[in-house]
Formats: sequence, structure tokens, C-alpha cells
Amino acid sequence: MTPKRTHHSFEMIRPLFLFVFGLILFSCSSQSSEQSFDSSSLRRATIEEVETLVEAFILAEDSSTIRIPEGFYDLKTQLILDNKKNIRIQGEGMDKTVLSFRNLKSGGEGVKIVGNNITIEDLSIEDAPGDGIKAQHTVGITFRKINVTWTNGDKSKNGTYAIYPVQCKHVLIDSCIASHSKDAGIYVGQSEDIVVKNSLAFGNVAGIEIENCDRAEVYGNTARDNAGGILVFNLPGLPKSDGRQTRIYNNDIVDNNHENFAIPLGEDPNGNTVTMIPPGSGVVLLAAKEVEIFNNRILRNKTYGVAISSYQVTGFPAEAPNWSPYTSDVYLHDNSYDRGSFSLPDLSRELGQLVSLYNAHGWLKTQDIIYDGIWDESISSSIESNPMRICIQEAGMESLRFTRFYLMEGEDNIASFSDSSPFQQCESTSKNALSLSL
Amino acid sequence: MKRFVVSIFTIFLLLVLMFSCAPEASKQELSSETPIEILAPEDANGKFPYKRLSTYDFFTGEMAKLSPNSSLLPYQPASSLFTDYALKSRFISLPKDTQANIEGEELNFPIGTILVKNFYYSSDYRKPEGERRIIETRLMILEESGWEAYPYLWNESQTDAVLKVVGAEKEVRFINQAGKEQVINYLVPNKNQCKSCHNKNESLAPLGVQIRHLNHDIAYESGTENQLANWSKLGILVGFEGKAAHPSVVNYEDQSQALNDRAMAYLDINCSHCHRAEGPASTSGLFLTYGQQDPLKLGVYKTPVAAGKGAGSYTYDIVPGEGDASILLHRMNSTEIGVAMPELGRTSIHAEGVALIREWINQMDEK
Repeated sequence: MTPKRTHHSFEMIRPLFLFVFGLILFSCSSQSSEQSFDSSSLRRATIEEVETLVEAFILAEDSSTIRIPEGFYDLKTQLILDNKKNIRIQGEGMDKTVLSFRNLKSGGEGVKIVGNNITIEDLSIEDAPGDGIKAQHTVGITFRKINVTWTNGDKSKNGTYAIYPVQCKHVLIDSCIASHSKDAGIYVGQSEDIVVKNSLAFGNVAGIEIENCDRAEVYGNTARDNAGGILVFNLPGLPKSDGRQTRIYNNDIVDNNHENFAIPLGEDPNGNTVTMIPPGSGVVLLAAKEVEIFNNRILRNKTYGVAISSYQVTGFPAEAPNWSPYTSDVYLHDNSYDRGSFSLPDLSRELGQLVSLYNAHGWLKTQDIIYDGIWDESISSSIESNPMRICIQEAGMESLRFTRFYLMEGEDNIASFSDSSPFQQCESTSKNALSLSL
Repeated sequence: MKRFVVSIFTIFLLLVLMFSCAPEASKQELSSETPIEILAPEDANGKFPYKRLSTYDFFTGEMAKLSPNSSLLPYQPASSLFTDYALKSRFISLPKDTQANIEGEELNFPIGTILVKNFYYSSDYRKPEGERRIIETRLMILEESGWEAYPYLWNESQTDAVLKVVGAEKEVRFINQAGKEQVINYLVPNKNQCKSCHNKNESLAPLGVQIRHLNHDIAYESGTENQLANWSKLGILVGFEGKAAHPSVVNYEDQSQALNDRAMAYLDINCSHCHRAEGPASTSGLFLTYGQQDPLKLGVYKTPVAAGKGAGSYTYDIVPGEGDASILLHRMNSTEIGVAMPELGRTSIHAEGVALIREWINQMDEK
């Protein structure tokens, strides 16, 4: 195995790329500094009040409520709730109780929670240097009506995740707002039994991301103005090695054309997979297993509405124990699409370049659904038999732009096909597998 | 030619950026220092924690001299966790007539055991025995419900320290070993931050007081002896069967040791408290315990998971042969919050540690 990253150079198209990239820079990718609430006029909590709050987290007793009165709390240390049970952390409203970590001096996140049956609600968290709020090893964690954001303009210096449950069970994220994170606004990692509903993610690189998780229900949310709207990933080499069973439905996944500011403008993507997401991505599946996507409004995402892709497209080493790089068992149905008018797909990321230049419908045409067409050859010698069990049943399929790529020989022989029929004959494959397992 | 075009493009981009980005708001400076309260005298009633460090009566004579009373025994891990060049003096106290015991890889202590760790700075690191300033004393007490950590902050006159669960910030100035003045903004962690490092399966656990870190010779007044052998002789440890029968870690500062052993000792004491299967950074899949053999778990050609800006412009945690292209080194070599690792306890760069790990990665075989 050669562990060096596969180099997709696209050398031939570089001059064109530079030209169009310049164009795009000034026209298409959007930026956003929108804030949901203005915390500047709130009463400033005194140093004593801030210390009382820090102490309340440290000294909290099981089955108690930590009430945080209205005010702007300038925190210089982390708020950590450690191994507690049945705790409610209660602010007075997203617009009234604001925990600011702008002056935090050390620590990976603003608020950290470990325990069982914890609820945090009705407050805002601003400007944490790492993650906004992280919950780990917690069974029963509810985030309700919390707003997590970054208020500064320098976005590539913003924090990583806004709302970040990881290695948790029974996760509920309800009526929350996550904005301006440089990775994912709502990120659920290595967790089980998850509901993300009625929440809003905007101005992030990724709006909502479900990574290496089992049984996630994502519904009634709005993901808008991110670089990518909703992502389902499985990354290699993690303690929770592969995740399955995510359902994404009744969401508005719209206008996700924000620039990808996970890295400074002009720099190449680094090892964080999210840095490769092209602006204009509605839904992205990467090494995902058993995903059903239905009844969503997937509108005006300039590069594609839905991308079904395998981990190999990243060019990173794609081997790890108990993990498969392929996306399999996808059931995509009854969504509505709108490609928007006068939009051009992204050219700043390799996946965007692939869509722009190699799609099956003509240069610089926005796609509704793309499939990287990378399949496991140990299952079938041909993709025509739909070996990864991709099932697409969208109304008016003939008027949607669908591209299946052929990338199995690397960049020297890229081909694309608009025929989606192999992936519509799916009664006995993914659809049934899904309805059985979900 | 292509390079030229690209660099023109870069300059263009920079110009665009220069004019489009709003200037960063100037950083607010923290000036307030919490005054140490005048506390009423308290009784040593056995109910921990006490508010004052002096109530424990650990030290005899002038407290700042940190001369232990007879119930305290000094100890020293083979390799030390870097905490902004702070020097440490460590003591352990077991309740009368009790013993620690070794069971397999575990070193178990009786309820009531206290670890006393003093963090101080010498005013001149070329003469470490000279004038010094003690910043904090951290106690770890093994209670019925498990270990608890209590940070005590020393007063300016160095006569006592008081329990401060919410943490603090202290500016420290000293002359470093190169003879230059160094200023460090020392951060005393809040009580719950202690567990960010002292965390084993979400229970608080000591770091240095483990068999592999204690299984080496230190200098006692009576002469040099293996610590665990000494404890056995004193009757406070059972189950020690000689150095070779138990794991041990080298001192990463000992240049006579093999580079790989030194590097792994460094990563073990500085990183593995989080980066192991039982630690909070298990989420990353990067495991840096002594003896880790799996290249992917060590970070070789491993992409980051939730590193955010910590990844810099790099792709893999470790690129063999290229220390300076490795995220691991990048994060050790930064003081920026969100980038810097470890996340706590370090606001300055440990130049010697960075040099060690750079050399280790540079000498790895490119596979």
C-alpha cells in the first residue's frame, strides 16, 4: 500500500480553473455574518457572578437545576459538568443568557458535559476557541433551544463544532441554532440513538453532520447557507468504527452555497475531510451505510443536491479494521429539487471540479444527484447490477440531472453517465434492507 | 512558469483578502486578580477538603520551604508532564498502617491516600536551588467515592495557599536555562478541568502514580534506590517483585536512552492521559500510550477527525520522515488555543519536547 495521498491533479484544467475560480470568488460563493441575536446590549455579569456560575457547574449535585440568570457571562475558564445525573442547565432564553468564551485561555471547548440524563436549554454560547458545547460519554443528553455561534468575522479561526455530542447514547437536539462553525454546526459523532429536529444550521462549513453513528433521525431542520447542508460520514480508524441507519426527512436543505472557510482562502484542503466539501453541496454521503433520505426540499444548492460517494474520493488511505469505505444501502425518494437559476457549480474543490467538468449533462451544470460510482468489485464485476444497493425513486426523475461517474481508473479515465435506471430497480435491494432494519 | 503564475495568483488572493477582511477586534487584557480571602482559622477535622493548605499540616517549619513532615514521602515519575516549565515537588501520604498493592498492571491505594503536588518556578533556572515562587499545590485525595482533585492557590507572601475551585491566572517571570527572561501566563485549572487530564473511563485517576512511571531509581537521603523497592521496604507497598517484573518507562530527558523509547515516554506522560482507549480523546482514534505498536493508532498517515484548525495545512498526524509536515508536531509547536496540545496546562512551547518528537518523526522510515 502506498500511503501517500492519491494526487488528483486536474492539471489540464488548471488555467481554466484559475480563471473561473477568480470569477466565482466575486460572484457566487456567499459569505455570511448573520447573527440570530445581539448580545451586545445585555447586562454584563459581574466577576463574582461568573465565578458563581463556574462553581455551580463544579459543585452541582445530582438531580438539580443550574439556573443561569439573564446576562452576558465573560468566561475565562471552561464550564465543566462532570459525571452528574439528572441535571438541567437552564438559561432564560437564547437572547437573554449568553455564555461567551471569547477570553477562554485554555481548554478544548467552552462547555463540557459528562454524565447521565442531562438537559441544557434556553441559552447562547459564543466564541469558544475550540468547540462550543461538547457532551461525551453521556447517556441521555438533550440540547433544547440553545444557540451556539461565533461572532467574529475571521471565520477560518472560528471553532470547530458548535453543538458536539460524541460517544453518547440517546441524544436529542431540538430547536437549536448553530452558526459560523468552521467545521460542522451540529455534529453528532460516534453516538447511538439520535434525534436532530426542528433546528437551524447556517453559515457553517457543514450544517448538520452525522459521523460514525447508529440510528439517527434528522427531521424538520433547516440547513441553509452552509458550504454543505447535511452530511453523513463514516471515517476510518475510530473506536466506533462504522455507523449505520440514518434517516433524513422533512428538512429544508437550501442555498448551501457558502464558501468553505474551513481553511484560509487559497490554501489547499488539509487532512480534515470537511475541507474538501465543495460549496453548493446539499446532502453528502461518505462511506455511509443504510441511509434513507425523503420528503426533503433540496433547493438551490449550486453544485449538487445529493452526493453519494465512497471514502476513496478523498484520496486518503481507505483501509481500517471493521470499516468499509463504500457507501451502501441508500434509499433516496420523494424529495423536491430545484437547481436554481444562473448558478454555477463550485470549482474550488476537487469534487466541485469533477462535477463542473465531467458531469453527464455539460460543463458547469448544477446536478441534482451525483453518484461517484465507486463499487466493491468483490461483490460484482459491474456496477450495472447495483452492487452497493443504491435506490433512487424520485418523482420526475427524467427532468432531474443525475450523473454517475466512473472513477475506478483514477483521473486518467474519468467517464460519466446520466442513466439512472440501474439504481431505480431497487425493490429487492436497498429499500427492503432499509425498511427491515429501521 | 506555472509556479510564477500560481504565485501571482496567490498575491492577488492576498490582496483581495487584505481588503475584504475586517480587522480583528483587539484582545481584551485580563488584569483583575482575585484577592485571597482572609479565612477564619479552621480545624483539621478530617473532613476534606480544607479551605487552607496549612490545615493539612503537611509541612514542618516555614511552609514555603515545603519540608515534608514524617507522614509524607517524596516521589518522582520517570518522565514528567510538561506544565509551562513549572518545577514540581511531589509527595504521597498513606494513612497509618495501610498499604498500597500491585495487582497486575494496577497500583491500588487505600482510602485516605493523598498525593501532594507543588508547582513552583525558580527565579533563575540556571540556579534551580535558589529563590523560588510557589504557584499552586494540587491535592489528589482518594475518598470512598474515588479520587478527588483540589487545587490550592498560594498567596503572594508564600505563607499559605487556599482552595480555589474556579481556577486562576498568574503571570510568572523567570530567567530560563539560556539566561533569557521568560514570561509565562500560568493557568491554574478549575477543579473540573483537572479531570480533562486525570481521566480514566470518566473517573479521576492519578497520572504519575502508576507502576511504569514509578519503577525507577531516585535519590533518597539514604542513597539511590528503586522507588517501589523503597516503598516495599517501608512496608507501604505489597506485590512488587523487582524492577524487571513490572513495566517501566524511561526518562525522556535521558539522552543515553534509545530515541524511540524517549519519544514514546514523552508522548505517554504528556499525551496518553487523553489519547488512549480509556481517555477523553479516544474519539480521535489516536492512541499514544507507551508501547503502542499500531502505526495507524500512533497517527502514521492517519487523517484527523475533529481537529479543526489544529490540523493547520497538514494532512496526517504523522508523516514519517517529515516532522514539520506532521499535525502532531504542529500542535505541540503552537500556543494558539484550539491548536495547542495538550489542551490544558501549557501556554508556552516546550522547545526540548518539540525537538525530541521532530527528531523521532524525521528518523521514521518512510514506508
